[in-house]
Amino acid sequence: MDSKLKFDSLLIHGGSEPGPAGATSVPIVQSSSFAFESAEGLEDVFRGRAIGSVYTRIGNPTTEALERRLALLEGGGTAIATASGMAAITTAVLTILRAGDEILSSSSLFGGTFSLFRDTLSNYGITTRFVDPLDLEGFRNAVNERTRLLFVETIGNPKLDVPDVPALARIAHEAGLPIMVDSTVSTPYLASGSQLEADILAYSTSKYINGTGTTIGGVIIDRGVFNWNSPKFPHFEQFHKKYRNFAFTARARKLVHKDVGACAAPFNSFLLTEGIQTLALRMERHCSSALVLAGFLKEHPKVAWVRYPGLEDSPQHEVATRLYGGRYGGLLTFGAGDKPSAFKVINGLKLAKNLANIGDAKTLVIHPASTICADYNIEEKTLMGVTEDLIRVSVGIEDYRDIVEDFKNALDSI
Amino acid sequence: MNISVNGKETSVPENPKRTIDSLLEELNVSQRLYVTVELNGEILDRPVYETTPVRDNDVIEFLYFMGGGR
Repeated sequence: MDSKLKFDSLLIHGGSEPGPAGATSVPIVQSSSFAFESAEGLEDVFRGRAIGSVYTRIGNPTTEALERRLALLEGGGTAIATASGMAAITTAVLTILRAGDEILSSSSLFGGTFSLFRDTLSNYGITTRFVDPLDLEGFRNAVNERTRLLFVETIGNPKLDVPDVPALARIAHEAGLPIMVDSTVSTPYLASGSQLEADILAYSTSKYINGTGTTIGGVIIDRGVFNWNSPKFPHFEQFHKKYRNFAFTARARKLVHKDVGACAAPFNSFLLTEGIQTLALRMERHCSSALVLAGFLKEHPKVAWVRYPGLEDSPQHEVATRLYGGRYGGLLTFGAGDKPSAFKVINGLKLAKNLANIGDAKTLVIHPASTICADYNIEEKTLMGVTEDLIRVSVGIEDYRDIVEDFKNALDSI
Repeated sequence: MNISVNGKETSVPENPKRTIDSLLEELNVSQRLYVTVELNGEILDRPVYETTPVRDNDVIEFLYFMGGGR
């Protein structure tokens, strides 16, 4: 039935199996390990002859239900749910790259990913070069003999630039490389992994997938479309021999995910299967209210500038419209002129919460330059599009009139 | 017709049209999209599941990447 259902129905029913006593919610299987009736039965699972839950770090029925649903929403493939979005990206990258390999990454990144690539992985011999994601030729020319992966965010956070992901995918594929896509900000509702021509997706489920700011989680999607049988990936040889186009998932499941241990907690997986059911409704509201707020801010005399791909004068409006079907997400940024004014606006907001998150039902704001990007120097902040006057807004699903009123009052007070 | 499936001797009705693909369905093998099939010690490419016949005394292994760990 699953493959015939449309997206909004998959959000609710995708990957579901009948629960005990007719339960229609995904059961929470809060158990660290699972007993088998026979030694042969457990041996079969360890040998890969049978499917079964063994230990929750490796797999858990609640988490597997979430994984089945997320894979269907991306247009098919397999999924590995993780403890966080950063756990997903770390696990996925470590599955592909070894010391001496290089990531060719978009320079427009979430600060956590930037830090992972620039600081943490470089200590282990995995280096990253950052390229403007709008510069397709720059990406093409930057591929070298050490490159093993292209990495890009669908809508850069917080820069909000919108790269042509399918065009970048073609550049990767021409070079025999996979592309990994972080679609946290756009979600599969705006475009699935299949539509984006992504090989692997790694993103946070803590934001729009959860939708209510209760849960930290992440997911890796393997669409099963990349051919890992390549001299560039000798460490995939044994996995490709057995698992062919799902060699990535096999290597992640049997080695990196198992060894790193950043597994999803069953209760968190349950909360995500609940939250995701309203993703389509919420995203419609996030997108429409963000467009209204962006329009309001653009006209306000105390606002220096507004960045939102839904605005017709946005440099990426055309590509965003083509890729995301006339929806532009719930994130926008604007400039208050300088840092003191930005702080005054944030302090004047009553409805919007000042905190480090996005994708909540509640409207959220943050001043990235002094918080989530505080550790970066001026050059790096510029690369990420972070200026001292920038306020990032994650537009919630409250009545849009209350949201606009809140910003109007805060701006009028400065 | 007798075949070995994941180490177990299995009897299936005679059917000259039976392929690896139809056997997966016949035996109600879980997660058919992701299972790897080993036929007489050789891993099969997925596109040939539909054209590879199942013969008497074949040794077939269905393999998953879900299991394992400790």
